[in-house]
Amino acid sequence: MFVDSIGLILIQAGKTLADFLGMLKETFQALFRPPFRVGLIIQHIEFIANRSVGIIVFCVSFAAMVTIMESSYHMKLVLQEDSLVPGFAALLILRELGSVLAALLLTSKIGAGITAEIGTMTVTEQIDALKMLSINPVQYLVVPRLIACILSGLALAVISNLVCLISAMGISVANLGMSTGSFLLAMNRFVIFQDLVFAIIKGGVFGAVIPLIACYWGFRCTAGAQGVGQATTRSVVTASVAIIVLDFVMSWIFAHFY
Amino acid sequence: MIEFKNVVKSFGQKTVLNKVSFKIERGQIVFILGISGTGKSVMLKNIVGLLTPDAGEIWVDGVDAAKLSEESYGPIRKKCGMVFQQPALFDSMTVFENIAFGLRKHFQLPESEIKSRVLKALSLVNLDDIGERFPSNISYGMQKRVSLARTIIIEPEILLFDEPTTGLDPITTNAINSLIQDLSRRLKTTSLVVSHDMNCALAIADRIIVLDRGMIVEDGTVESVRNSKVPLVKDFLAEV
Amino acid sequence: MVFMRIKVLIDDIGGGILFLGQIILTAIRTPAKIDLTLEQIYKVTAQSFATTAMAGFFVGAIMTIQFTMQLNEFSALEYLGGISTSATLREVGPLLIAFMLSGKVGAFTAAELGTMRVTEQIDAIRCLGANPIREIIVPRFFGIVTASFVLLSGGLVLSIIGGLLMGGLFAEVSFQEYVRHIPTLVTMPSIFNGLFKSFVFAFLIATICTYRGYTATGGAKGVGKAVLQTAVACMIAIVLSDWVTTVFTDTALTLIRGE
Repeated sequence: MFVDSIGLILIQAGKTLADFLGMLKETFQALFRPPFRVGLIIQHIEFIANRSVGIIVFCVSFAAMVTIMESSYHMKLVLQEDSLVPGFAALLILRELGSVLAALLLTSKIGAGITAEIGTMTVTEQIDALKMLSINPVQYLVVPRLIACILSGLALAVISNLVCLISAMGISVANLGMSTGSFLLAMNRFVIFQDLVFAIIKGGVFGAVIPLIACYWGFRCTAGAQGVGQATTRSVVTASVAIIVLDFVMSWIFAHFY
Repeated sequence: MIEFKNVVKSFGQKTVLNKVSFKIERGQIVFILGISGTGKSVMLKNIVGLLTPDAGEIWVDGVDAAKLSEESYGPIRKKCGMVFQQPALFDSMTVFENIAFGLRKHFQLPESEIKSRVLKALSLVNLDDIGERFPSNISYGMQKRVSLARTIIIEPEILLFDEPTTGLDPITTNAINSLIQDLSRRLKTTSLVVSHDMNCALAIADRIIVLDRGMIVEDGTVESVRNSKVPLVKDFLAEV
Repeated sequence: MVFMRIKVLIDDIGGGILFLGQIILTAIRTPAKIDLTLEQIYKVTAQSFATTAMAGFFVGAIMTIQFTMQLNEFSALEYLGGISTSATLREVGPLLIAFMLSGKVGAFTAAELGTMRVTEQIDAIRCLGANPIREIIVPRFFGIVTASFVLLSGGLVLSIIGGLLMGGLFAEVSFQEYVRHIPTLVTMPSIFNGLFKSFVFAFLIATICTYRGYTATGGAKGVGKAVLQTAVACMIAIVLSDWVTTVFTDTALTLIRGE
């Protein structure tokens, strides 16, 4: 009984994965095939980046403050002094928090929106209507969102990390009695150029994962009132888990390049 | 024109089309009747490849649609206009852009020509002055008519209607039915209408096919259907 | 425009607080349906355990990788186990696992309740003379609070295991050495801090998702919108309350120690 249900779950997961890879292949092919809808891409960038930059800036600045306070706590615990907190916290922000938090926020703000939008199109037969006009839905809907989201992901990673560092500096000055100079000096001792590059790469990868997963669940949306809601939930959860797992994989790989 | 040969389609355990065969000639208005869930919509979607049958052949103008791949449905889909059960208008575009979308996709036309054709299509469905509104800002009946205009503007040879009047008030229903009749006669299209409205089937159909649990139980002209002995058809007629 | 948005925001917060008051009043005045609540706890826990456990595991693993690199610069690798566990327990673990929960439990519940609302099931319950808050919301609310707390704690345990595994695989610190400093650095207040945060997050997620779902309007689209708003509102609330609880526990500890 128990083994049976595990088997069923595995088969289901396998099917879902195969389906997803199918869409991925189609997307990849459509990426390099005309027409290239530059106008649509720009529209989506405007939508994605504009809609999410406020909430990302707001949330990461609070997260940065907490990071500084926590780092200071741990520094005192181990080294009995906290003058190196900026370096320590800046590394944590650049290597993990800045990109991951921005990506998770992007998932619920934009990813869920994309799923809801495409899910609604699926259940109201708009996708079928597109096919009837000989328009490939993957090329028309997924590709512009994918490109826009990758570009926005890159930009948002930079913004998020920058805001994070600035508010970390602010709280260090206010709470730990540091000057901006000593903060930057301590940060400078630890942060290297690779940190920034890797943070941006992470932003781009997360930016690619979010629309792909969101569109996939949108296309698979079932009819009825619960259909769109269910698809949206699945999209948020799958994308969040994927982000954390990918972050782990990337951190491990990047660790070899410092 | 359109021919089904032993078409079978099932979803999981449930068989919705069980060896369905029929042939439709050019220029006819054919109604497909049946209670909900008997595979009527599935039948339409099989013709244009939105679904593919498990077995059997579907011939559209000498091409077996059942054997095509997703990329090669283009010519058939251009030939067939489908009016969906829901209006299926693109939310992000105005009514005008919705109707012009197919024109822009299929034909290279100057903007003035597009404009005049769209306005003509709108007046054909008795709608004027709503081109700049968005689908969410007009009533359901209007949306249905806009979706009809969007379909007929590319002048398809075959019109497929998926329950065109379900969920509409009697007045709009009548308007849509006379539109279907009018268009088919004027544009000389073949029309395949999926419906459960026996009334309008009797009024405008050349031929009526009745489906029950995935099988054809009655097939004939209006006259022969009126005198049918099949219980389901009698029930349908009792509603008239 | 901005003022309108601020007004909507304040309206929402006020509505949420009133709704919370209604839930608590209903729970106090009428005997709670224990069996329904237990059913909810079971359902939420069973549905989300795999997700949160996985998230916890990877968060712990990521933290260990990062701290390995940093502690190497201080040549203080022997503290790896202690620091990594402490940081994950106190801060990063609850935050990221709660993010995961806001998607899994929060959005799911909002979708479920929103569907009930737009398909008029909630009105049907009222027509049958029952109080929908008591029948549907109260069991879900307490079910989610309890289950989320359990899930968060479970995720934290898994994060320790994830960190431990990476300590061996990535940092090549032996098991004994990794564990040695955990008791010295992970204090009772730290554990309490992590659990307190988890409780606050669970409470916020439960309030937001039941409120948003219960007040959904406008068909399938409305349900989608409710889910979206729930996910976003949960994340903002989590980040904000994360900061508030950190300041709060910090101040409380300082006062207790009398420094």
